[in-house]
Amino acid sequence: MDVLLHLENLSLSFDTPEGEVQAVRGVDLTVKKGEILAIVGESGCGKTVMCQSVMKLLPGNARIASGKIIVDGTDITNYSEKEMRSLRGTTFSMIFQDPMATLNPTMPIGKQITEAIHQHRNVSNDEAKSRALELLELIGIEDPVHRYDLQPHFFSGGMRQRCVLAIALASNPKIIFADEPTTALDVTVQAKMLNLLLEIRDKTGVAIVFVSHDLGVVARIADRVAVMYAGKIVEIGTVEEIFYDPRHPYTWGLMQALPSLAKDGQPLKSIPGMPPVLLKPPKGDAFAERNEYAMKIDYELMPPMFQITPTHNAATWLLDERAPKIQSPFCLNQENKNQ
Amino acid sequence: MSNGADILQNKRWSMIFRQHPLLEKILNNLLILVGSIFVLSIIVFVFARLSPGDPLLAFYGDALEFMGPAELDAARARLGLDGPIYIQYIHWLANAATGNFGLSLQYKIPAMDVISPLIVNTLILGITGYILVFTLAILVAIGCALHEDGLFDRIACQLGTMIYFIPAFWLGLCLVLIFSINLNWLPSSGAYDFGMSGNLVNRIEHLILPLTIMIGSHIWYYAYMIRNKLLDENRKDYVLLAKAKGLSKSEIIWKHSLRNVAPTIINLMAISIPHVLSGTAIAEAVFNYPGIGNMAVIAAKYHDYNLLMLLVLISGSIVIIASIVAYSINEVVDPRMKDTGVTVWEK
Ligand SMILES: Nc1ncnc2c1ncn2[C@@H]1O[C@H](COP(=O)(O)OP(=O)(O)OP(=O)(O)O)[C@@H](O)[C@H]1O
Ligand SMILES: [Mg+2]
Repeated sequence: MDVLLHLENLSLSFDTPEGEVQAVRGVDLTVKKGEILAIVGESGCGKTVMCQSVMKLLPGNARIASGKIIVDGTDITNYSEKEMRSLRGTTFSMIFQDPMATLNPTMPIGKQITEAIHQHRNVSNDEAKSRALELLELIGIEDPVHRYDLQPHFFSGGMRQRCVLAIALASNPKIIFADEPTTALDVTVQAKMLNLLLEIRDKTGVAIVFVSHDLGVVARIADRVAVMYAGKIVEIGTVEEIFYDPRHPYTWGLMQALPSLAKDGQPLKSIPGMPPVLLKPPKGDAFAERNEYAMKIDYELMPPMFQITPTHNAATWLLDERAPKIQSPFCLNQENKNQ
Repeated sequence: MSNGADILQNKRWSMIFRQHPLLEKILNNLLILVGSIFVLSIIVFVFARLSPGDPLLAFYGDALEFMGPAELDAARARLGLDGPIYIQYIHWLANAATGNFGLSLQYKIPAMDVISPLIVNTLILGITGYILVFTLAILVAIGCALHEDGLFDRIACQLGTMIYFIPAFWLGLCLVLIFSINLNWLPSSGAYDFGMSGNLVNRIEHLILPLTIMIGSHIWYYAYMIRNKLLDENRKDYVLLAKAKGLSKSEIIWKHSLRNVAPTIINLMAISIPHVLSGTAIAEAVFNYPGIGNMAVIAAKYHDYNLLMLLVLISGSIVIIASIVAYSINEVVDPRMKDTGVTVWEK
């Protein structure tokens, strides 16, 4: 499969009055054509920052501390704002968590879509409008001709999120960053949105980076899953590998905290403690403090990525050959996933 | 029977209102206007008369010293200055209702005649100043928002704070000293040179310095407010989406944020009318510009009651009408306001 996006040892920091916040710390990641890559992790672990750094949508106090962003073989790490603008919308787009806030409340939906079309193509107003209607149709808005001229406050949350998706698709992007696109929706609408994303992916071949902290949702939609902790990717693999054969103790913790995946009669477990503050990240494994299997080395040295299979990697010293062999406390069987 | 007719009458009125909400709104606003002007006139009337000083002095000047008590009483009666204060007020009100606002005690001609040429001068200064203050304030605000924390933004904010705290009259005197006296480029006082009231260039020359201090002392406050509003708007998610579409910062401000802060700007413009109007008065006083603001100071000083009352009524009406108009414009600009209005007030 072709690699669309390659993050190479990417680190990103915010300069704040309190000091340097290391929001993303040395991330290596690839996104392939047409795949759905889920990024999971606790609040504040840097999922949003990582996505927005690729599109350079971050505020002025953010800077890339090290590493490279390579899109379609081109290194865009040092692209100027003007160069980035030509990529936004065409190479990558984004949809956001709160559909109530992501649309301009005073501008008709149709205009917000055609604006995105006009931005990158020299088309007449009529052409733009027919393309916008096509997009509204594609994302399943009924009676698009009538709805075209309506302002967002006439739409429900689910419909607004679809409209945001239409805007994101306007210039045929190759990657869509979907930053918790279903978190603010209620469950039935959420399911429809997920199906729509899958359908769009199949129809257009767009790759989707799907940010979420809901593993249940991730299991339904993702091809691959990256688990993030304190600004680092601690485990990455195909959805089967992550759900059936997780190797990182943090991933175990996430799984055990999942109500829908817990075994009958077993109490839900939560991960003790809090994620570290990214102002002064600890020098060893950031998860050591909360890890019941932590060894001395975890407090001294950051674990490298250990390869388990060609597609499955995890960063924990437990995978070192010198470490004691520990049986995963969590075991998911095939039946559970198919539920 | 008559009772029934009454009810019928009432019903008809309420029917008319229900069918014409606009009519009802206009009538409501008219009531507010008349009511507040009425209250205002009472307050000014009472306070003017309570303040120490003799209005006859304005009318007769030094001749006052040679008048006997009987003559003085007669003069007071003639000028409507005798009797208890509420009688005086009722007299004034009855006359005012017919459009007669009395004689100016100082100029000895009808107060209206004293003021009408001045109103034009003040309107020219006030309206140009007002438009310039807000046009420039919006432009500066956009410049600042485009370069948040950049050089332009920091200079504008800091220079603005400094100039904002310099008293307008002092700034005015400095301008006169530099541009009128030292450089002799611009006239230092008046609205036009003798016999040139219709000469546009001459008028503009006279306007430059007063407008400069009006703009200088007002623009920063409003520019800063609008800048902050724009920056607040720029932190909203829809701006992020617009950015993700590939729009540039300035496209986002012109096409999205500015439009969405427009109701706030209009609101600000409406409530700032008295503020900018009082700026006109200061500019008029510093540059001896013949306008109603300058005249109001003189009228108060000489206890020229009739003139003062008229001036207060005019400026009061301007302020109140402006607020009403601003509110109505607001409803048109921001459909959300109207929407909630309907759902809240309808059964
Ligand atoms: N503008 C900023 N200035 C300083 N620090 C920031 C800024 N934006 C984000 N951060 C920090 O970066 C870290 C990562 O934030 P991010 O928003 O990416 O988390 P997230 O994983 O998306 O969380 P959530 O699930 O809550 O959306 C956080 O610790 C946050 O405090
Ligand atoms: Mg986030």
